[in-house]
Amino acid sequence: MTGAGSFLGGRLLRRLAESKGEDRLLVLDVAAPPPALGVHHRELDLTEPAADETLLRMLREEEVDTLAHFAFVTNPRRDSTFAHELESIGTLSVLAAAAAAGVRRVVMRSFTAVYGARGQNPNFLTEDRPLHPNASLGWVHDKLEAEQHAASFSRRYPEMAIAVLRFAPLFGPQVRTFYTRVFDKRVVPMLMGFDPLLQLLHPDDALDAAERALDRDARGAFNVVPKAPIPLGAALHLAAKVPLPVPHPVAYAVCEALWAAGITEAPAGFLDYVRYPWVADGARAEKQLGFRARHSSRDALLAYLRYRHPEAKSAGVTEVTA
Amino acid sequence: MSETAKVVPIRRVRRAEPASERLREQVRTLEDQLRRLEGEERATGREGLLVALARLFQEGLRSVNWDTVAGAWAAFYFTWHSEEVDDFGFDRKFTETLRPLFEFLYTVWWRVEATGLEHVPSEGAALIVANHSGVLPYDGLMINVAVRHEHPARRDCRMLALDMFALLPFLAPLLAKSGAVRASQENGERLLRRGELVGVFPEGVKGVGKRFKHRYKLARFGRGGFVRLALRTGAPIIPCAVVGAEEIHPVLAKADWIGRPLGFPYFPITPTFPLLGPLGVVPLPTKWSLDFGDPVPMDAHGPDAAEDPILVNRLAEQVRGTVQRMIDGRLARRRSIWFG
Repeated sequence: MTGAGSFLGGRLLRRLAESKGEDRLLVLDVAAPPPALGVHHRELDLTEPAADETLLRMLREEEVDTLAHFAFVTNPRRDSTFAHELESIGTLSVLAAAAAAGVRRVVMRSFTAVYGARGQNPNFLTEDRPLHPNASLGWVHDKLEAEQHAASFSRRYPEMAIAVLRFAPLFGPQVRTFYTRVFDKRVVPMLMGFDPLLQLLHPDDALDAAERALDRDARGAFNVVPKAPIPLGAALHLAAKVPLPVPHPVAYAVCEALWAAGITEAPAGFLDYVRYPWVADGARAEKQLGFRARHSSRDALLAYLRYRHPEAKSAGVTEVTA
Repeated sequence: MSETAKVVPIRRVRRAEPASERLREQVRTLEDQLRRLEGEERATGREGLLVALARLFQEGLRSVNWDTVAGAWAAFYFTWHSEEVDDFGFDRKFTETLRPLFEFLYTVWWRVEATGLEHVPSEGAALIVANHSGVLPYDGLMINVAVRHEHPARRDCRMLALDMFALLPFLAPLLAKSGAVRASQENGERLLRRGELVGVFPEGVKGVGKRFKHRYKLARFGRGGFVRLALRTGAPIIPCAVVGAEEIHPVLAKADWIGRPLGFPYFPITPTFPLLGPLGVVPLPTKWSLDFGDPVPMDAHGPDAAEDPILVNRLAEQVRGTVQRMIDGRLARRRSIWFG
């Protein structure tokens, strides 16, 4: 497994250590996993130029047959080279080494954001929809390139089953990302006159889908999405936020300026995602992986709010399905 | 502000039952609970708009601080939001809130007369195809209200909205919450496969922004996308003629050079707009009629027929001819734009 240091990767590692036994797991990462897990670790830096050859050697020595590739960054970074080296080039190295070492299965993390939020999107994006993210957004561009590498490798190496899991944004206990932090402030700026549907995925559902994908020869892309979407306005209402509507031409300019000045956490390209629809359809994962989300977006949001603000026991936050 | 000032009704209870110590104890616990609840409500800004206004009246300007203003603003903003929507964003509670306005438009303003509603099936997928007009999509709204109120099954008609409306600030969430969906093959197919009643205006932009002198002359019916939709899903097509909507905003000329930079495909100039400013947005109170015609069955051709462009176009023209005939028949009987 790569990217065991990430939130989702770390949680998946714990779960796999429980279900499969820690001696069957190998972590390839810069940082070592918690020693208490007792998982075998080898140091690997995917941003190094010769990462593919190092990885190939390790895969051969350890006789790896299934690889979970979770080395992706969720928070946008000002250091765009690092993200590019890790996600795009890193994925290329991982796939090349896996193909050369004869790895049978690769399960790769991806994001529903790769579809891009666009006005022309249908209300439900299926996996065969062409990926058209906002061109100026480097964050999503690296993930798009990783997906393209995966697609080309599954064409060139049909004997290697590559499953790409496109997760909806994670929301839940212990999730700390740039978009969950929006819900930590009292006043939330939003685009005036837009209220798109959002999908917020509970981490437990994400792990469930990842485990299922690791257990079978799944091929191609799968949307991993919650049971039901939630409108942004309803989400803010549920979290008892004070909305601050900003006209969108102003919002884009201000957001870009604040990002450039190093004040906000995300560039203006992300505003598309609170303006246009980008809800993905989970039918394929249900049919081929047997995965059905147990939590809705509302549950995920409430779980996060309970974790972050346990003191605010307001009307909505009490009625939560476990 | 004093804490006791807020618990007036409970004090009255206490006065009515002076003796019992047990009751007094109960009242005290209730007071505590109330105080705690109020504190929580205030802390999270989760009180209703009316509560916020009442507090302002009760406590005067002393109560105006950042917390109360923010709370009142959030309450006002979220008055229109409910937390339950379907997966296309249809918000029933929101639609019910606006229902009186829709009913006013339907019964008083345009005095809509709907005929042939028995052609709309009580259940299962069907595609209502109508002529589009009136600058803003009021005609879709009225078809929706007609099916909802006058059809025995009280169905919701999901209108497929033009891109220009479905992407416009304010109008976009408004349409989505009232059950409309952006027009696309994928969306239409998904709705029909779920067995919903779907309404579509194949004329599109050409219809809704047509000039007054072209009124009731149907524009081209798109590229037959609605026929392909019906063929693929086997849903019957129900032609519908809307008469009266084409006069609510008589478009005398179009100043597209103003509209384009603002994101509109056209900028209409009517006798009242932009001359009267905001008043020009009020549609004229014409008399409307909605006529639903005999369903055109589509399942006889089979789903593969959707790939046959000649057949698709022939069926589209056939439906267009039907709608045009229904409009012409209604126009011939109509004696006045205002009274029908």
